[in-house]
This record gives sequence, structure tokens and C-alpha cells, in this order.
Amino acid sequence: MNFDETMRFIVCVKQVPDTTEVKIDPQTNTLIREGVPSILNPFDQFALEEAIKIKQEDDEIIVISMGPPQAKMALLKCLALGADKAILLSDKAFAGADTWATSYTLTQCIKKIGGFNIIFCGLQAIDGDTAQVGPEIAAQLDIPQITYVENIEKVEGKKLEAKVQTDDGYKIVEAKLPVLITGITPSSFEPTNPPMMSIMKANKKPFSTWTIDDIGGSSDNYGLNGSLTEVIKVYSPPARQQGVIIDVEEPEAAVQKLIELLSKDKVI
Amino acid sequence: MNMSIKFTEEQEMIRESVREFAQSKIAPIALEMENTKEIPKSVVKGMAELGLMACTADEKYGGPGLDAISAGVIAEELAKADCTGSTCVFYLVPASWGFLLNKYGTEEAKQEIFPKVVSGEWFLGIATTESDAGSDVVATKTTIKSDGDSFIVNGEKMYISGVREAVTGGGGHITIAHQTPELGSRGMTTFYLPLTAEGITPTYIDDLGREGISCGGFTIDNVRIPKHYILGEENRGFYIIHEGYEYARALIAVICASAGLKSLENGMNYIKERKSFGKPLAHYQEINFRLAEHYTKLNMLRDLGYKALKTIDLEQEGKVSRFETSNIVAQAKMFCSDWACEAINDVMQWQGAFGYSRECSDQAAWRAVRSFSLAEGTKEVMKMIVARELLGKKQY
Repeated sequence: MNFDETMRFIVCVKQVPDTTEVKIDPQTNTLIREGVPSILNPFDQFALEEAIKIKQEDDEIIVISMGPPQAKMALLKCLALGADKAILLSDKAFAGADTWATSYTLTQCIKKIGGFNIIFCGLQAIDGDTAQVGPEIAAQLDIPQITYVENIEKVEGKKLEAKVQTDDGYKIVEAKLPVLITGITPSSFEPTNPPMMSIMKANKKPFSTWTIDDIGGSSDNYGLNGSLTEVIKVYSPPARQQGVIIDVEEPEAAVQKLIELLSKDKVI
Repeated sequence: MNMSIKFTEEQEMIRESVREFAQSKIAPIALEMENTKEIPKSVVKGMAELGLMACTADEKYGGPGLDAISAGVIAEELAKADCTGSTCVFYLVPASWGFLLNKYGTEEAKQEIFPKVVSGEWFLGIATTESDAGSDVVATKTTIKSDGDSFIVNGEKMYISGVREAVTGGGGHITIAHQTPELGSRGMTTFYLPLTAEGITPTYIDDLGREGISCGGFTIDNVRIPKHYILGEENRGFYIIHEGYEYARALIAVICASAGLKSLENGMNYIKERKSFGKPLAHYQEINFRLAEHYTKLNMLRDLGYKALKTIDLEQEGKVSRFETSNIVAQAKMFCSDWACEAINDVMQWQGAFGYSRECSDQAAWRAVRSFSLAEGTKEVMKMIVARELLGKKQY
């Protein structure tokens, strides 16, 4: 990396329920969050670690998140991993936000922070899987975006080159700074567990909680009021019936049996 | 959810970080340590990088300088992940005796020893037990004599954890010996003994459990140590060493509760699935009442373990006395092994023949937890301490 000037990176993160343990209440069709631990969204941790990887000594990493007061824990983890400052956007006015209202809130925060060079986002949050917030921030800030970034190849002068995942393989994409990237976690990525020493120092790093008063803008654009979409229902798809196993050793007999079954069901 | 203990934000982060490490790097290979008889180097390296080795050492010596509650959180997560208890012992011994070295060691000793223990290169252990002296520390036969600008140590120690680790990798053990034998407990000195010193001859013992960490003994034949290896004042060692024991005892209480609760979790998964006479085993009161009893006792033990650790922290702030700490720690340690063993034994029973096989993680946990009825002070001695504190030393 060869930066002309001191860089400021902003990393957008989210605290999410550990979805490996989330179940849906079959009566109410809502997520059962009780007793489910909250974690830093794994895609966001990858994005943060990419920022840390390219950070040089005097550069600054600011990590921001919108969420309830308890989302502070996700930000503290980011500070323990190596971020320099953290801002939690927490206000009742932000509640019920869809991806558009969320990206508006984060954009307002980024504008308030001032200058930046690169915004890092995870590909998506594991609770919603929308993958929309990052690109929407780029749209609202009117800056270029590179999505599905697996690795930042180089940052030179005012340009960034990234290795991007495609359906067929990879491509190298170049963009002018400032830019927003969304990172897709490669299978080789092993998330860092923050060491004890860094954890003990995390709480001593600058941490702020900002409300609507700090970032300005009309309350009509935040939370439920500012949302363009509405979730009507969340439900589990019906469980798939177990298939039929043709337990016949001879291939010819097995094929014969298969034909019989398919004919019976009028498939063939 | 446990409502009785309020952990700080740092402690919650410590838990998450250690849990992720322990569940991904230790749990999958835990039973293998029973065969290889060692903790893999990658695990030791990971523990050191995470700052778990001598986690009680101050920052200026390379450690994170954790308090006792935080040290307990680490112990609890390791015990959940490592059914063999090997990494729990490998962790708790340098944490506890690192606490003592940090508090009473000379600046020179701390600068020399801690960075190598924190990095995982050296092992820091405890060696007080002898063939004829265990919890009765005054019965120790090992002696230490001043000789010019150093000390000469003679004697032997037995049933010591981490002997091979210190002999082959470097490091040593905090130990105690009579300096002024005629003064009994008031004539004993606590010091650091490097196991790589000339005059140390190790022997090894095949322990029943915790097989990833070695157990052994060593003879000490005219071993010369520098003066800066003495912890605290000479002839005050009997009082000093008990602070290390108590730190370890409180951690052991939490480890036993955690190992027992983890085993109960295994058991619950099993009894909900396994059917007998047409119904899941969990349906039968003989089983579900036992589950309820064990769960209640182990949660009481967990709370008491953390209370003991909190008391140790408060003692460092001058808010409780030595005697109060000894009393509460002894209460926490007294039944920790018994209660955890009873719970794990039932989980083995519920699983039938599988519970008795080497493939079952619970049998390894039972063998590990059984050791804590003896290690760092027997349950009988814990009763003596509590009774003494209740009745007064003279009456008792």
C-alpha cells in the first residue's frame, strides 16, 4: 500500500443474533430471540479485518453501528480487534428501520464525521441477508462502490484496486477514492479472537453514542417513518418430506424400480 | 440466564473471545490429548497469543493483568470445551501462581520469568506436595539455606503438574521449604525453582486423568538459586503460599461447575432423544429429578466459585481480610469435585454402555474432575478451614 496522505477508514458493523441458534416461533412466526447470544456480524468482522490489514501507522479506523444500547458490545469487540474509535447510533427514532432508513442513518453519521477515504461494509448481515445497506450508503453519498470484494490488492495515490468475486471466478476492479466496498468472506478467512490485553484496552478508546440530535435530519427519514418497505410476515418454509431411497443393489433392478415409482406418480 | 453474577463488559468480551477459541481449537481435539499425552503446540501457541498464560501478570511483564473474576471466566470457558481438563490445569496453574509471583516476586524475577511464561515458551507451576506432605504443608521436608548471595535447596517433590513441560520447555515451579525448621510454619520460605537447574532429577507418574499435561516429581539435590527468586520475606512463605492455593481453589470450583454443567448438557441432549420402553429417558423421574438436583447444585457451586473469586479481588483492594477469603474459598472448593463427579457419573449412567467407553467425553471429564478433590488442598482440609473460621482457632 502506498498512501499519499493519512487515511481515514469507516467500517459499518451490526450486532446480530447468532443465527445458528435462532428459531422461529411457529405460533407467532416471529424470531425467538430470548436466550440467543448476540454477536458481531461475521461479514462485518471480515470487513474490519481488511481495514486493519491495510491500515498504516497514522491512519484512523472509525467503526459505526446503528442499534440498541447493548450493540455497544459489538463495537467494543471492534475496538479490541484494532479499530481506533467507535460511534453507536442509538435513538428510539431509529427503531423499525428497513435497509433504506438504516443506510440513511449511517450516511448522516458518516457526513457528520466528515472526510473519509474508504468505507468498509460486510457483504450482508446474517440475520437479514439483504446485502443492501452498503450499496445504499454509497448511493446516498454519491461515491463509487465495489461489492463482493475478497481482497484489497493495492491502494495507490487516489485509487484502490480490489479482487472481486464473480459467478465465474474473480476480476480486478479499480475505483477512485473515496470509495465504499462490501467484503465477501473467503473460505480461508479465520476471524481473529481479540486477545486479553486488547480487550482490557478497548474500553479506554474513544466511544460515543450519537442520537438524532447529533446527526441531524428530519425524523421522517429515520426508523419506521423513513422505511420504504415493510415486513408483512416471517415464517418457516414447510419441512421437506423425506425422499424415497431405492435400496436395490443391481443397477438394472434399481432403474426398473425408479421407472415404476415415477410412472406411478405420473412423472413419466 | 444466570441472574446472580453481573459481569463487566470486558469480562463478557473475554468470555466470547475465549469461547470462540476454545470451541474451535480445543473442543475438537480434546479427546485426542488422552492418547498423545500432550497439549498440541498449536493450542499452546493459541492460548499464549490470546493472553491466557499467566493472565494475572501485570502489563509491564507482558500479561493482561486480569482480576480474579476475569480469570474465572476464562477457566469456565476452557472447562466447557476441554472434557479432559488438561488445558484447564495448564491454564489455572500459571494464572494462580503467576498471581503470587506478581504480588510477591522481586522485580528481577518478574522481568525474567513472566515474558517467557506469557509467550507460552516456559511453564510456571506449583510444587509443594511431597511423599509425606500434602495439604499439611508444615510436614514438608525440603530445606532451603542461605549461602552467600544465593540459596541451596535440598529435598523432593511429588505429584506435581507440568513437570515435563518445565523440564523440556523451560520454566519452573513456585515451591516452599523449611528455612528455619525449629520455627515450624513461621520458618518456611516460598521461592521459584527452575526445573532446568543442575541438581533437579525428574520422575513421571501415570495420572488417571487430565492426561494432556504431565504429572511427576523431582528430587532437588543441592540446587543453587539466586536470592531474587524468593517470594516475599524469608520465613513468611507459609502465609504467602496460601494466597496462591486460594486463587487456584476458587478457579477449580468454577472449573468443576462448568465441567459438570457441560456434561449435564450432553446428558440432556441424550435423554431427550434416547427412548426406552417407548418413552424418552427424560420422561422418567428417576432421571429428570437427578438432572434437576445436579443442575441446581452445580449452579450453586458456580455462584460460590465466583463469590470466592470476587472475595479475592476485594482482598486485594483491602476490603476483606485474609481469613474471610480463606473461609469463602474453602466453602467453594469443599464439594466442587464431589458434586461435579456425581453429576457426570449420572450422565455416564444415562448413556449406558457408551458412557463407559473411551469415546464418551464424559468419562474423561469425570476422571479430570475427580482430581480436584485432592489438588490444591483436599476437601477434608477445606472442612478444617471452614470449621476453624466458624469456631475460632483455639476452640477447634
